[in-house]
Amino acid sequence: MNAPLDAALLQSQPGVEHLRARPLLGTLVEIAATGASAEQVQAGIERAFQAVEMVHALMSYHAADSDVSRINRCAFERPLPVHEHTWRVLTAAREMAEASGGLFDISIAQTLTQLGFLPRHADFPRISGRGNWRHVALLPDNRVRLMRRLRIDLSGIAKGYAVDLAIKALMDSGISAGRVNAGGDLRLFGDATQTLHVRHPGAPTSIVPLVELRAGAAATSAGYYTQRRHRGRMITPLIHPHTRAACGVERSVTVLAQDCMTADALTKVVHADPAQAGAVLARFNARALMLEHDPVSGGCRIFDSAATGQPGCRARWGIANDSEQACDV
Amino acid sequence: MSNLDRWLMIPALILPAAASAPAFAVQYLSVEQAQKVLFPGADQFEARPVALSAAQRSAIESASGVRVRTAEVAAWHAKQGGKATGWFILDEVYGKHEFITYAVAVGLDGAVKGVEILDYRETHGGEVKNPKWRAQFTGKKAGDTLKLDEDIKNISGATLSCKHLTDGVKRLLATYEAALK
Repeated sequence: MNAPLDAALLQSQPGVEHLRARPLLGTLVEIAATGASAEQVQAGIERAFQAVEMVHALMSYHAADSDVSRINRCAFERPLPVHEHTWRVLTAAREMAEASGGLFDISIAQTLTQLGFLPRHADFPRISGRGNWRHVALLPDNRVRLMRRLRIDLSGIAKGYAVDLAIKALMDSGISAGRVNAGGDLRLFGDATQTLHVRHPGAPTSIVPLVELRAGAAATSAGYYTQRRHRGRMITPLIHPHTRAACGVERSVTVLAQDCMTADALTKVVHADPAQAGAVLARFNARALMLEHDPVSGGCRIFDSAATGQPGCRARWGIANDSEQACDV
Repeated sequence: MSNLDRWLMIPALILPAAASAPAFAVQYLSVEQAQKVLFPGADQFEARPVALSAAQRSAIESASGVRVRTAEVAAWHAKQGGKATGWFILDEVYGKHEFITYAVAVGLDGAVKGVEILDYRETHGGEVKNPKWRAQFTGKKAGDTLKLDEDIKNISGATLSCKHLTDGVKRLLATYEAALK
């Protein structure tokens, strides 16, 4: 039914490709899919958006009736049953917290509220300020209990999970190639190799080609679009869980991993402590690329957590060319 | 940079600023396509543009808490077999770096049935305020071409806030209450 658009998009690819976007998860979620017919592609995209909408409804900090808000409101008083998807994300968050020695921590919600990145909910109980991820107890039958008075925020990991679910929905719908991009958390599948671009941390409206991907996930975190002024200083919602200090705005971190939830969460670990992140990245078979603004040249310096020459590393991510070629523009 | 000892700095990858690409734009749906996506069963979209009165504008602003920048509302009455099924409202919002055309479907119950993005354009902050630059978007018709840059479609950048988009939807719901209901 969208024939004019198809023709414009599809000169070089077999099948029908559609591209749609909706505002979800606090960002623009873009879904592209290629399939045999327009009906199949539209149905697949619709299913994928439904998956994202479900994660949004379950894990939003802002919505009063989400699982996250219910946990924050009453899970200190009593064990609270949550949806299976919420449970999976909480389990992954815990695994990431353990692997990183707490460099990933969902209990930084209080700091984000204080800094103005998250809204205040009048009906949330007071918090003690001494809790961390260890005090989020995951009990049998998908129940959650807060062992200290704390608040959780899943926005550092749920977006990646939403992307993974949307990709699964596209695959289940028989889509032959697809891409889901939720404000920088993206995952793709299909035969074609695609260039992944990132924003220049010193000039975010400029876009830099970084790496070639055929399959797998990438997530980028940086402060340039989320920074705000707090007590005379520019800060980002990227919080170091141990010091509770906000990271600076000058660096961008991209993590390549098998799934987008892992990539999303790992960006926070790398931001918090790049020196310690290497072991955590290795454990999750992931690779990180950091871009730093170079004030002298106006360009940016790129750091890689892995030797790009290692064949295993490239094969694992379906990276066709190494990033040096991709960046040689 | 002493804490990055174990990170491989790729010497070839000191990118000059000039190597990066300029701003880009994507068209997702035309107006007709968005109408079909949001009201799949509808067979007629009757254009019902509205010019808001000063009283309506201030009613919308106080109900939504969002500024009304223009008095014109691009609205269509969606009908199925001659019977009204809801409203399709076309609108645009812009932030510091981006300009978004989007559509909201409002059902007969006054609730949002769906939101679809039609165009997304990214730009440098200063250009949005430039009236000439803005003028290229006014009076844009569905058939006007907006080339998708084939080379740049996988941007893994940090999140662009869509707060102004959320505000836009709030404003349109208040507009429905004040002028279309």
